[in-house]
Amino acid sequence: MKTIVLGAALAAFATAASAHVTLETREAPVGASYKAVFKTPHGCKGAPTNVVRVKIPEGVIGVKPMPKPGWKLETVTGKYARAYPYYHGVTLTEGVTEVIWSGGELPDAFYDEFVLQGFLTKDLNTEAPLYFPVVQECPGGAAARWIEIPAAGASASELEAPAPALKLLPAR
Amino acid sequence: MRRMAGTGAGVLAGMRDRAAAYVVAAVLLLVSASAAFAHASLVRAEPADGSVSAAAPARVALVFSEPVSPIALRLIAPDGGAETLERFAVKGTTLEIQPPAGLTPGTYALSWRVVSEDGHPVGGTVAFSIGAPSASGAPAAEAADGAVRAAIWAAKVAFYAALFFGVGGAFAVAWLGAPSRSGARVAAAAMAAGVVVAPLSLGLQGVDALGASLDAVTNPLAWTTGWGVSYARTAVAATAALALGLASLRVCGLPARALSAAALLGVGLALAASGHAAAASPQALTRPMVFLHGAGVAFWAGALAPLGLALAREGAGALATLRRFARVVPFALLPLVISGLTLAAIQLESPAALVETAYGRVLLAKAALLAGLFALAALNRWRLTGAAENGDRRGRRNLARAIAVEIGLVAAILGVAALWRFTPPPRALAVAAAEPAAFHIHTDKAMADVTIAPGRAGPVTVSVVIMTGDFGPLDAKELTVALSNPAAGIEPIRRAATKPGDGTWRVDGLVIPAPGRWQARLDILVSDFKMVRVSGEVDIRR
Repeated sequence: MKTIVLGAALAAFATAASAHVTLETREAPVGASYKAVFKTPHGCKGAPTNVVRVKIPEGVIGVKPMPKPGWKLETVTGKYARAYPYYHGVTLTEGVTEVIWSGGELPDAFYDEFVLQGFLTKDLNTEAPLYFPVVQECPGGAAARWIEIPAAGASASELEAPAPALKLLPAR
Repeated sequence: MRRMAGTGAGVLAGMRDRAAAYVVAAVLLLVSASAAFAHASLVRAEPADGSVSAAAPARVALVFSEPVSPIALRLIAPDGGAETLERFAVKGTTLEIQPPAGLTPGTYALSWRVVSEDGHPVGGTVAFSIGAPSASGAPAAEAADGAVRAAIWAAKVAFYAALFFGVGGAFAVAWLGAPSRSGARVAAAAMAAGVVVAPLSLGLQGVDALGASLDAVTNPLAWTTGWGVSYARTAVAATAALALGLASLRVCGLPARALSAAALLGVGLALAASGHAAAASPQALTRPMVFLHGAGVAFWAGALAPLGLALAREGAGALATLRRFARVVPFALLPLVISGLTLAAIQLESPAALVETAYGRVLLAKAALLAGLFALAALNRWRLTGAAENGDRRGRRNLARAIAVEIGLVAAILGVAALWRFTPPPRALAVAAAEPAAFHIHTDKAMADVTIAPGRAGPVTVSVVIMTGDFGPLDAKELTVALSNPAAGIEPIRRAATKPGDGTWRVDGLVIPAPGRWQARLDILVSDFKMVRVSGEVDIRR
C-alpha cells in the first residue's frame, strides 16, 4: 500500500517524461540553420540499440549528419515536395530525407547522442511543432519507434512514443 | 558549482551564494536526473504471457526496463472474477507478486498498472494458463422477468390447447361422426379461449423481446414490438385456423368437414411459421416436419375429448366412432412420431445434450410423459377397445376413464412442451455461442473491420481487415491489437497480429478474461516512420 501511495505521489509530482528520444535544443527560429542532437537514453525494452533512423520532415533541407565512430552512416535522398530557397540564392529541390546510423552497439544502460545539421526553411509553420520521427532498431527485429505525432491541438504527453518535437520560432 | 560559490566577494555573501548554488545544483540535478528517466516497459513476465503451465505458479514476477512502483495489480480468474493483488515486493526492476493460493485450472489475466520513475503510468495485461487454456463455458440463459415468463408459459399452454383440443376437436366432431356432436362444446370453448390468447400473447412476446416487466404489456410499444417478431406470423395463422374451426362447428356435413380440415392444416402452418424447431436448418426439412407434427397432434389429441364423451354418454354411435378412430389413428401417429424424432435429433445435435442442456431435459420429461401416454393408448387400443366393442358397459366406462387420463397426459405434455419457449435448443446455443462480435472503425486515416470470434469471454481469434480512409488498400508493416476494459480495471492486452496471407490480420489464442464493453485499439504501422492509431468499442458476451 505504501508503495502505491509513493507511486501515486511520483506520478503527481515527477517532471514531464523525457524517457524518449528527444532533441537537446527544443526550439529554433525558421530561416536558419539548426543542429539537431537526438538524445537516446534507452534501447528497446532493455535490448541494445544497433540502428538509429531519423526521418527528415518536409521543409528541413540541406541536411548533413555527423558521423559517429563505430557506426556506419547512410542517408536516403529524395525529392522535396517543392523547391526551397537555400543560402546564396541557391534553390534546393532534393536532398536527404532519412539518416541512418547502423552497425553500432548502444547498450540499454548507456546513453548516446546522434547529431545532424539542417536548414529550417521559412515555409515551415511556426504555429505548430515540427516532428522528427526516430526509429531505434534492436536485435531480433525489435524496434522502438518514436514516431507518434499528436493530432492538431492535442498534447504529446498522452502519447506512448511521441516523435521528438521542435518548437519553431519566427525568423529573426 | 563549488567554483561558482567561491567567486563570492565576502564570507557571508559566499555563504548566501553557496546556499543559492546548492538550490541551483539541486534543481539541475533533478532536471538532468529526470532526463535520464524513462517510460518503463515490460521486458519479461513469469509466467510468460500466453504460457500454459501444469501447476499453479509459485512465483509471479514482472520484469521492467526501469524500476517501477505498482499502482494497481488485478488478477482476473477464469470465471471472470477479479481480485486485487496487494502482496508484492519491488526488487530493482522486478516486481514480485505473491499469487493467491488455490488457483484452479484455466486462464488468468494479470492486469498491471505501474508508474515508472518518470512519473508516466503504464499498464498492460499478461495472460497465463494453468493446466490448459480456459474453454468457453456454456452461455448463461438470459434472465427474464418471472411474471413475464409465467404469463408467456400460461398463454402458450392455452394456445396449444386451443389449437390441439379446439381445432383438433372440431375436426374430430366433423369427421369421426361422434353421436350428438360430443365434444363440440369443449372444442368451441378451447377455440374461443385461443382467439383471445393468440393476440394477447403477441403483447407478451413484445414485453419479453423488450426485456420489460409484465406491466409494460399496457405499453403500445410492447405490441408493436410483438407484431415485429416472427411469432406474429404464428399468431395470425392460428387465429385464422381458430376462426375456421369455430365456423366448422356451426355447420354440418361436407362444409363442416372442409372447414375443419382447413383449420387442421392451419394449425400445422401456424406452428411451422415460427419457433425454435421451424427456425432450424435445413428449413426445407424442419418446416414440413413441424407442420406434420402440429397437424398430427391436433388430429390425435383433438379426437380424445369427443371420443371419451361419446363413450361416457354411451350414445348409440359411440362404438362406430371408436372403430373409425382406432382405424385411422396409426396413420396420424406414425408421422407424428417420425417428425418428433427428426426434430429432436436436429435440435439436440448430440445425445449428451439430452441431459446437459435445459432443452434436453425438457425433451426427456416430454418423452417420459409420452411413454406413459403411448402405454395407455396401447392398453386402450388392444385391451379396452376390444372390451368396449364387445358391448361391455363397464368396458366402455373404463375406456372413457382411460381416455380422460390420456387427455390429462396430453395436457401435461403441452405444459412441458411450452417450457421450450424458454430453453434454446443446443443447436441454437451452439450458434449463439459461436456468434462473433464485430465492429467497424472509420477515420480519415484508416478503416478497420474487426471481428472477434466467438464474441464471448474466453479464448478468441481476432481478425482485422484494414483499408485507407478512402477505401484504398492499406499495406501495413505491422499491426498491434490492444484490448482493454477500463470499467473492469483491465489494462490493455497487447498482441502483434500476423498476416496469414488472405488479406487479413489475425491474432489467435487471445483470451478475453471477462465480458463487458471492451475498448479495442489498433496500432497500424503504415511505414517505418508512420503509425496510424484507431480505436473502437465492442461488447463481449458472457
